[in-house]
Amino acid sequence: MAEQRSAGERVVAPKEARDDVLRVEHIAKSFGPVVALRDVSLHLRKGEVLGLLGDNGAGKSTLMKIICGFERPDAGRMFLRSEPYEPRSVDHARSLGIDTVYQDLALVDELSVFQNMFLRRERVHRPLPFLANRAMRAETRAALEEIGINIPNINAPVARLSGGQRQAIAVARTVRSQADILLLDEPLAAMGAKEGGRILDLIERLKKSGEVSIIMVLHNYVHVLASCDRVNLIQDGVIALDKPTSETSVEELTEIVVDEYRRARLAANGQRAAAP
Amino acid sequence: MQVETARDAAASAGGRPPEAMPPERAAGHGPLGLARRLLTLREASVIVITIVVAAYFAVTTDAFLTWDNFKTLLPYFAPFAILAAGEVFLMINGEIDLSIGAVYLFTPFIFHEFYDAGFPLMLALILAMGACVVVGLINGFFTAVIGINSFITTLGMLLALTGGTLIISNAQPVPTPGTSVLEDRTTFASVFGGGTYSELIWALAIVVVLQLVLSYSRWGIYTVAVGGNRLGAAEAGIKVRMVVIRNFVLCSLCAGLVGVLEAVRTTSITPDPAGANEILFGAIAAAVIGGTLLAGGSGTVVGALVGALLLGILNDGLIIKGVNADYLNFYLGVAILIAMAANTYVGRVRRGAAVG
Repeated sequence: MAEQRSAGERVVAPKEARDDVLRVEHIAKSFGPVVALRDVSLHLRKGEVLGLLGDNGAGKSTLMKIICGFERPDAGRMFLRSEPYEPRSVDHARSLGIDTVYQDLALVDELSVFQNMFLRRERVHRPLPFLANRAMRAETRAALEEIGINIPNINAPVARLSGGQRQAIAVARTVRSQADILLLDEPLAAMGAKEGGRILDLIERLKKSGEVSIIMVLHNYVHVLASCDRVNLIQDGVIALDKPTSETSVEELTEIVVDEYRRARLAANGQRAAAP
Repeated sequence: MQVETARDAAASAGGRPPEAMPPERAAGHGPLGLARRLLTLREASVIVITIVVAAYFAVTTDAFLTWDNFKTLLPYFAPFAILAAGEVFLMINGEIDLSIGAVYLFTPFIFHEFYDAGFPLMLALILAMGACVVVGLINGFFTAVIGINSFITTLGMLLALTGGTLIISNAQPVPTPGTSVLEDRTTFASVFGGGTYSELIWALAIVVVLQLVLSYSRWGIYTVAVGGNRLGAAEAGIKVRMVVIRNFVLCSLCAGLVGVLEAVRTTSITPDPAGANEILFGAIAAAVIGGTLLAGGSGTVVGALVGALLLGILNDGLIIKGVNADYLNFYLGVAILIAMAANTYVGRVRRGAAVG
């Protein structure tokens, strides 16, 4: 089974560039018997937007969670600005300038918009430990205005908001942090065209500044070609494609995925035929 | 203006936003506007019911609305307010502590043991509180680190501590250190439960401080976050285990303090596991009646205080009405069910009004 699969698969050897801010080498991660990542290597250059593609369950989110310090890899090494990088926690990664928008957004329904914006990033009246709610409200309004997402009541619990608004809050809180490496796991999934366009504009602005590097998981190939400099494709726990977006097309990306489905169906049929 | 911000924060710590009202209605002045504002408070439903119940006893009995009866009411109410304050933090956290009755039983004996061993009063008290911290740490460790459901962890702790108390005390009551029925009250006894209003002052102080912590500190926000979305809180970088353990310690400390206050008030320490269980049920009932969700993510300390007041008024009022002791618990149980149903109904009406 494993031999069959590796015969058809393409594995991209680890690459690197002189201006890499992040390098990930031979990362593997399993959850019990489920292998999420077999051997993943990728690099992220300064000021670059890297699109990460792959089927559902290909391990994209797991890779993001390893880079941001939420999960530990079973094997492999990472380098941040050429220094060995072993995040102990999400806080640790954040202190080193890496911040994340999770696929599940990590919002707390019961907390208000501004409390979610500052979750684990709260402002307090130093030296007193009390929250500086007024300052956090003002900063929240400014941040949402900057993105151009309209949320009338920032004291409302986020449970009341639409999927797109919730996603906008998750993106806004990550982007306005001091981080210079952003990991965005499907930041546009719940958004309509208008809201999604605003987020893509925001990413465009960050890219122009040249200071912020971004890894972005996306499903929409048009978004990938519009906003990413380079695209990596995860298949079966390895990086199967690594190309600048200028050298690929919607057709090529679609063909790779269609091919994957074709092979998966063949394998499933083969198993079914062999079963009785 | 200050009131406005306090209300915002209390509401946004897991509740209904006052601004959700249509502006023209929210801006209403005069008595009607004030009534509407009150009704948008989260604790509104339980406050309304408490007032109705108190009014009923005030109208139907002569003895209820007297200062002497207020003093009689205090022990029915103040200890539960403190116990429920700690329990509210854990329940918002999505956990529960069933061992508070046992800690309440256990701590005064530890206090007595240290005092007997020759430690000065205050030091013996501090060491007894230290024992509560250890109990909370153990509860928290088994729940948050080993991963046992807190219902089971604290049920085990309940049995272990109740048994431990019977072993230490040989099932015999002892006089509370620092108190004596024969002599005048010492300052220590007056402060720690002996004074007429001592328990009330402790209860109000603890409720105010803990409500401020819940609404205005990281600890409070993280407690709501962990109870509302544990995975999300962890992804945001919150140390979920630390938050849970800290709240178990807080809950045990509240229970231990009440144990000492009650021991000083009654001047003797009695190993009575059945009484301790009633204390536990009363505290959880107060928290739930006060609007705290068993499922976690939402609740207030002030609500639990009002819940404890409602229970106290019911208990005291039924006694004044001369309800037979055998019937008392029956009536109390029925009254709690009716109060909770009314609470839920008023809450629904209130939310309807708030959404518009």
